[in-house]
Amino acid sequence: MALIDYRPMMERCSTCAGCKFIPFEKITSLRFAENCPSIGYYDFMTYSARGRFQLSQSLLDGRAVLDDTITEAIHSCTSCGYCDTGCKITRYNLEVLEHNIEQKAYAVENGKMLEGQKPVMENLAKENSMIPGTKKANRMDWAKDLNMKDLFKEKGEVAFFAGCKYSYDPKLQKVAQSAVKLLQGAGVDLGTLGAADNCCTGRAHQMGFFKEFEKGATTNLKAFQAAGVKTIITPCSDCYHAFKRQYAKLGMDIEVLHVVEYVDRLIQEGKIKLTKSVPMTVTYHDPCHLGRLGEAYVPWEGREKKIYNQIHTWEPKRPRYNGIYGIYDAPRNILKAIPGVNLVEMERIREYSWCCGAGGGCSESNPEFSAWTAGERVTEANATGADAMVTACPWCKDNFVNAVDEDGKKIEVLDIIELVQQAM
Amino acid sequence: MALSREIYQALEAIVGKRNISENIGVLETYRNIPAQGSGHYGPSEHWTPLPQAVILPKTAEEIKNIFGICNKYGIEFKASTTFWSAMGYIGGDNAIQMDLRRMKSVEIDVKNMCAVVEPFAIGATVQAEAMKVGLNLNIPGVGCSASTLANFSSWIAFGPNSISMGQGSENILGMEWVLPNGEVMRTGSLGSGDGWFCGEGPGPSQRGLVRGIFGNAGSTGVCTKMAVRLHPWPGPAKLPTYGDAPSYKTDLGDNFKCYTLCYPSWEAWARSIQYFYECDVVYSGHRQFNMFGRDLKAFMLKIITNPDGQLADLETLVQDPELQKQNASMKFDYQIIIAGYTKRDMEYKEKAVDYILEQTGGWKNEMMLEKDMHDYALLYLTRMGHKNLNFVMCGAYEGTFGLSGNVWKAIQVAEEAAARKKYWEQNYTHIAATGGESAMGSLSGIGGGGATGWEFFVNFDAYDKESIRGTSKFIDGNQEIHNKYAFGPDFCRWNSDVRHMNGYNYTQEEHDSMFVKAPQPWVYAYQYKIREAVNPNNLCGTYLRTLNPDKIETK
Repeated sequence: MALIDYRPMMERCSTCAGCKFIPFEKITSLRFAENCPSIGYYDFMTYSARGRFQLSQSLLDGRAVLDDTITEAIHSCTSCGYCDTGCKITRYNLEVLEHNIEQKAYAVENGKMLEGQKPVMENLAKENSMIPGTKKANRMDWAKDLNMKDLFKEKGEVAFFAGCKYSYDPKLQKVAQSAVKLLQGAGVDLGTLGAADNCCTGRAHQMGFFKEFEKGATTNLKAFQAAGVKTIITPCSDCYHAFKRQYAKLGMDIEVLHVVEYVDRLIQEGKIKLTKSVPMTVTYHDPCHLGRLGEAYVPWEGREKKIYNQIHTWEPKRPRYNGIYGIYDAPRNILKAIPGVNLVEMERIREYSWCCGAGGGCSESNPEFSAWTAGERVTEANATGADAMVTACPWCKDNFVNAVDEDGKKIEVLDIIELVQQAM
Repeated sequence: MALSREIYQALEAIVGKRNISENIGVLETYRNIPAQGSGHYGPSEHWTPLPQAVILPKTAEEIKNIFGICNKYGIEFKASTTFWSAMGYIGGDNAIQMDLRRMKSVEIDVKNMCAVVEPFAIGATVQAEAMKVGLNLNIPGVGCSASTLANFSSWIAFGPNSISMGQGSENILGMEWVLPNGEVMRTGSLGSGDGWFCGEGPGPSQRGLVRGIFGNAGSTGVCTKMAVRLHPWPGPAKLPTYGDAPSYKTDLGDNFKCYTLCYPSWEAWARSIQYFYECDVVYSGHRQFNMFGRDLKAFMLKIITNPDGQLADLETLVQDPELQKQNASMKFDYQIIIAGYTKRDMEYKEKAVDYILEQTGGWKNEMMLEKDMHDYALLYLTRMGHKNLNFVMCGAYEGTFGLSGNVWKAIQVAEEAAARKKYWEQNYTHIAATGGESAMGSLSGIGGGGATGWEFFVNFDAYDKESIRGTSKFIDGNQEIHNKYAFGPDFCRWNSDVRHMNGYNYTQEEHDSMFVKAPQPWVYAYQYKIREAVNPNNLCGTYLRTLNPDKIETK
């Protein structure tokens, strides 16, 4: 679709504010009632989903222009997708997140991107990684001693896909290594794409770089298919979303599992036994791309149909991604299975979880905004009294590690795999 | 016409560079197309004018200083918070838009049972904070996504709780109000330094002055802080919810019940409401789900309470005989919540409801007694969080045949209005065919009962220009029914005398020619005098209806 195809949605938005707050029924305090990092930080309506709809109308009509301010506004969106979930509490025919990302693509098509995005995209083009400064040649270093099949050279049904962050960040590499050992210990025969392992390009899609996404996705898809892969396991939530939702749109028919889903399954089957006590109170942060954006893609092709004169429907019925079928229970099941762990919840959880701030490439392109967003979450986590915040995404973890709450305090941030390992 | 550098820099100096913008793209997001919301002046395709700057003040002092600049240079200004309605947008070319979203504090005063709120404190956040200490507030029918302060200060603000708690104006205590001339007025007890607890004194009681006839839609400056009355809440400190989006539900235990009460006729319906006014047992009362229309409400309820439901399911659901039966059962209906402070109190209220049903031949709708439906409706009416389902069908709606008055008067017009709407649904395609009668609204718009407030929802497509224009024609025709019953202007045209359909303000001359013919022209003349006193440069748009007193003398 092109931006103009969203025109009916732009004009049917009713300024209800559902995109700015957690579901109104779920509000239990003033402090944690809002749920759009972008308008939360920048304050102007322009930065909300409603504002973005209105801005698009104006851009298409030739009134607003893609100057520096508007380019920054367009790209200052973490693509966390809460606006979409919030909208769908009361609306059945608006695709808010799709529009926001299409608006970014419109800016990109017109040559408008942020300075901070350039090194990221240049590195993707040159080294197949979204992390500036990293080299393709070192991508698989983290997996050297893990005895996984090289699916570039041999066939294998289960591919472990670490993603850029776990592949290059020395601290996070250990988590990926632990995840692999955990699965191997439970008897899972894992492989990696080896020389064909590249960025999933999901973040490029979130940033509106559609051509780069399609190029990367097509290449990766061919590599998975050539290796005979039937299941992809990833510890990265961004990669998970890319495979589960975006690659599926391109026709990928491979099972996609996040590590937490597999580990939860293995715990239930008794193949992983958590025996050591980890006396700790933790709170769990739902990564956006594993939670509300982790729903499976459902193919659909159809058209709008009005019934009862003016009621908009779709023929055939269009899939409705309202966020509730994301991966929420698996990580919580794991935490509950760890002896000694006491799970306390934040106010904004599951489909209305607050974003970590790293999404949409914002951790690179808008570091101050990204850090503020992470700080908001740390404030919320600290308000629970937890000793640590646990998550299941390397981008989230990395963004939280350096963040401080409104009083300048930090919180220990753990990948869920780290906790599992402590309990074994 | 861009602001001169001198003016822009002066404004920027007040709020800081980060909180002001004159970027064309940013400004464009502060315009309103009334067809896309509810402006109370009917569907219109026109955008409101483009502001010259958007400014986000944080304090009353900053607002006062902004007003100083505006008065000095003759610049119009308007403040808004959630920007839901056309009422909050500017109406002239030489104007700036104030966005008050940085002002959102809520302070609960348990002892005096009030909340001191800033403009961007929405109903949901005020309620969440109040419930923590066993209190609650009147959330208007517009829903909890709207600003409490804006509703109470600038519009009518009645909703489900109004029958037990009163409407907006009945709940205003002390106020801090920056007048357009830059003076800061503190009303009620606040004005004498005694705190926020009382609206009438010992300081100056000026509620009527700043609110105008029924709320001035932001045209007498900016109310920056207001104390609102809180009322007892016999429920938990944290609203417990369960269920999957979008059909969240709540189980509040045995001391809360939400019923859909149904009657065999409008007469029985009206009599029951009158009985409820007299016996004082209703915590919340609203005719809510009829907004989906007489022919569709039960089927729509099935869709919105199913996480996987879609509007496309309507065509199948309407074939279901059991749902048809339930829908027919709800022809003359409304929803109530009863809340018990003790077990005995609850038993009494249950008995009172049953007795009224017995006296009027009414019944409780069976489908709405099912636990899921009950808990959905209970949460809906308690929080008013799903109110934006108003737009679910077509993306736009307006309220026609609006009425705030006696229930007996209301039912006089009901079937005639329903027939006219049904005729339009059947013979034209501009509005959704929901079954003619779609009257919804508050059981009582004033505390203790006495006056209902309702409107017929008319759903249309904001993207479809023919739908917008056709709906406008339909509404124009409805005025005949209003005239016949002497109901005054139709609800959705209430603001058509304060903003042109092209989004612009009226001139004083235009207002003079309108209001000099009003039954009580002196009301508008007094508002003129008030405006002259507090807003001598006439810089806040024309939502305050004014008549130059000289015109009355001429007449």
